[in-house]
Amino acid sequence: MFHSGLQLLCGLVFGGELLHTWPKNALAWEPILAFVDIPLQLWALQIFTGLALGSVLVLLAVGLSLIFGMLAVVNFAHGAFYTVGAFAGVFVFGLTGNFWLGLVAVPLIVGTIGLAVERVLLRPLYGRGVDYPLLLTFGLSYVVVDAIRMIFGKVGLPLSAPAVLQGAVNIGIGYFPLYRLFLIGAMVLIVSGLWLFLEKTSYGLIIRAGARDPEIVRVLGIDVSRVWMVVFGIGTGAAGIAGFLSAPMQSVIPEMGIPVLVQAFVVTVVGGMGSLPGAVVAGLLVGVATSITVMIAPQLADAAMFGLMAIVLLLRPQGLFGHRGLME
Amino acid sequence: MSGDAILGETVLSANGVGMKFDGFRALANVTLDIRKGDLTAIIGPNGAGKSTFFNILSGAFPPSEGRIVFEGRDITGRRQHEFARLGIAKSFQITNVFPQLTATENVRIAVQAMKIRYDIWTPRCRLTEYVAKAVELLNLVGLHRNRERRAENLAHGEQRALEIAMALASDPRLLLLDEPTAGMSPEETMMMMNLITKLAEDRTVVLVEHKMKLVMGISDRIIVLHHGELLADGAPGDIRANDEVRRVYLGQTG
Amino acid sequence: MSDIGIRVFGNQLAITIRVVARHRVAAVIATLVLLPWVVPYEALSVNILLFGLYAVGFNLVYGYTGLLSFGHAAFFGVGAYACGIAVATFDVNWLLAIALGTIVAGFVAMIMGGLAIRTRGIYFAMVTLALAQCVYYILYQWTDLTGGENGLRGVSVQAVNILGLELNLLDPMTKYYVMLVFVALALWIFSRILESPFGAVLEAIRENEKRARACGYDTLRTKWLAFVLSGMFCGLAGALYAIHLSIVPIETANYTMSGQAVMMALLGGMGTFFGPFIGAAAYLLLEDVLTLWTEHWQFFVGALFVFFVLFFPRGIWGSLLHWVQR
Repeated sequence: MFHSGLQLLCGLVFGGELLHTWPKNALAWEPILAFVDIPLQLWALQIFTGLALGSVLVLLAVGLSLIFGMLAVVNFAHGAFYTVGAFAGVFVFGLTGNFWLGLVAVPLIVGTIGLAVERVLLRPLYGRGVDYPLLLTFGLSYVVVDAIRMIFGKVGLPLSAPAVLQGAVNIGIGYFPLYRLFLIGAMVLIVSGLWLFLEKTSYGLIIRAGARDPEIVRVLGIDVSRVWMVVFGIGTGAAGIAGFLSAPMQSVIPEMGIPVLVQAFVVTVVGGMGSLPGAVVAGLLVGVATSITVMIAPQLADAAMFGLMAIVLLLRPQGLFGHRGLME
Repeated sequence: MSGDAILGETVLSANGVGMKFDGFRALANVTLDIRKGDLTAIIGPNGAGKSTFFNILSGAFPPSEGRIVFEGRDITGRRQHEFARLGIAKSFQITNVFPQLTATENVRIAVQAMKIRYDIWTPRCRLTEYVAKAVELLNLVGLHRNRERRAENLAHGEQRALEIAMALASDPRLLLLDEPTAGMSPEETMMMMNLITKLAEDRTVVLVEHKMKLVMGISDRIIVLHHGELLADGAPGDIRANDEVRRVYLGQTG
Repeated sequence: MSDIGIRVFGNQLAITIRVVARHRVAAVIATLVLLPWVVPYEALSVNILLFGLYAVGFNLVYGYTGLLSFGHAAFFGVGAYACGIAVATFDVNWLLAIALGTIVAGFVAMIMGGLAIRTRGIYFAMVTLALAQCVYYILYQWTDLTGGENGLRGVSVQAVNILGLELNLLDPMTKYYVMLVFVALALWIFSRILESPFGAVLEAIRENEKRARACGYDTLRTKWLAFVLSGMFCGLAGALYAIHLSIVPIETANYTMSGQAVMMALLGGMGTFFGPFIGAAAYLLLEDVLTLWTEHWQFFVGALFVFFVLFFPRGIWGSLLHWVQR
């Protein structure tokens, strides 16, 4: 943890140095002037929006990173599980009328599906070569998305936030949608819970040890394959809850997972595959970068995250918090 | 034993080489010279840092500290694929060949690496001189009979011999061998040691081994590593008499 | 069928497959020449031809080099758009436009490869996907040039003049055989590449990249070159596709198109010469047949793909070859 903090500090120092040496001639300052024209208040609000957007990305990336770090599997069905989470939420809400119940039920439902997928479909592939689990999850994404279409139809379904979370609240710099604050808070809670689980519990220790060296864990008599199954379940559960939490903010359609998959990949590339702090930092970074770009140059909004990714790939291909060995 | 060692001429030197992995120190301040024409053995108990040092010498990764100088040039940090061109070749501890290709093709590819790399047009069946060289090398290591077998179907000892043939394909002046007799039967081990002795006649050979008895008889010089540090460095007789070495190896077989 | 009859049939089949595998370029071209006569309608045969070439290009990096890319739609799409824009907007000669499509796609591959090649294996898949989405995004937003969401219209090449012969491309059969000339040429070049020393290095990298490096090969640069060549083949397929459809839909550069390459390659057989075409044929036929019966064809194609990944990773042709060689 200290190691990564040091890296972050160096990044900030480097950034500061860069700003310091920015050329002094007028033309170079034009884009900066465009920034200045926008009131600080709007800046701050937009950053908060970015944090909310980033929170969804963080939950996705955390799941993806966890699965990769432990199983060395890139889950191409991650977007599909996100979609399942949203639809499961709609289903639970339709059944019970309770949003909060969905919050608990959705990760359990999606996580269980994830457990089953790992046990039945992924486990046979582990001897074979690194590409096969990836290919399988890729094919699975087609199956899952179309299955959702078969069950729920092709039209979008609405899910509204509970009344208590609707409306806006004054956070000092302006009015900000309460649901988005809730989203940020939920993310913090979930990620902290996950962190506590990994760092402080003995099962979390097994997971971390297994990610480093599965052989050692096996030698200690622990069933590694069961741990893998659980980790996959947790990872997909995280994707599911991300889907559920973002459902009130967008239309819940079967295709909602596809752009999200790309975003999750970009975030994990930027943060470093297999790194949880990386997932958090990169997720928020991408969220904020995107929403700021929306404010300045709306048509380039998506380009922001790609630009970020290109820079990372050029300067530090293993990601902000990734280890060099991840490439081999 | 090498016949015409030019005494004193250093072909490879490690200066203050250290290696740290994520907080774990594998090597500390290793300084030594490999003399031209020598057969040098690096030995030490398991965990001594032999493999790490070997990997650094052979270019798998750069050291955290220190420099590697080959034939007068500082080659620290050079990328793996440049080493073969420099004149350094290696064989791996865990057999590392091209499994689905035939033995001949394995060596042919190694030979080809020194000649051409980006030719996308000439049909390679026309480049018979590479095949000829490959067969010659396979002959040298005793694989002539099974040369059309897929590498994955060769016996373990044959695979190790194949590795050596591939290492020789670049006409190296320095040959680095990482535990070449690992997993071999006594007969295979004997054959391998004979081969290594023969190879050491024309080139500088550095051998990593943890079986001390094997290397005592054939080496010109022995280097002992322990806990990542240089413990002893000298002729076999001196090493055998060295008290510290005896203490470290007490209870160790081989 | 009697026991002997089955055995003779099996032997004959094995011999045929062996012969085909050995004279692969000729065999593939011969099959493609006959294809329109076998397939129910011509549009399908052109699709098999062009998507087969697309899969062949993809196969160069995945089947032969071992790099799983999920971004090949970028090359197919850019090839299509470059050719389409040249013809529709700048009235460029069709031959030149096809060449342009191929080269521009190669150029995009050079940039994408430069960014992605230092990552490896499964990580590579993610990065190529993201980079290709970047390309898709640029094509989508650059409405003035590409038509954006609605695609590019007006890529009409109705008649071409080859060596004095006036050929009417509106006739599906003529169009097929004209395109076959390009595909056949591409396949011949592809075969030469595989047979070359460079091709041997690609195989070595697929087998054991660490070993290839130790032998002295700059594997990074080699993979990069393979990526660029692959991009050019896919770009050619895209350029021909633009002429075939007379429009360039935005989906040609989409993630699903990248996924399609992967599916076709796996279904057919990676690392084989015939495989991609068989995979393309299988995929397209399946799509056609399934859509007649259900609108959820993706479910079944996906399930079939999963089935193949689990039980027939060598694909149709690859499994046949394997059976024959035992």
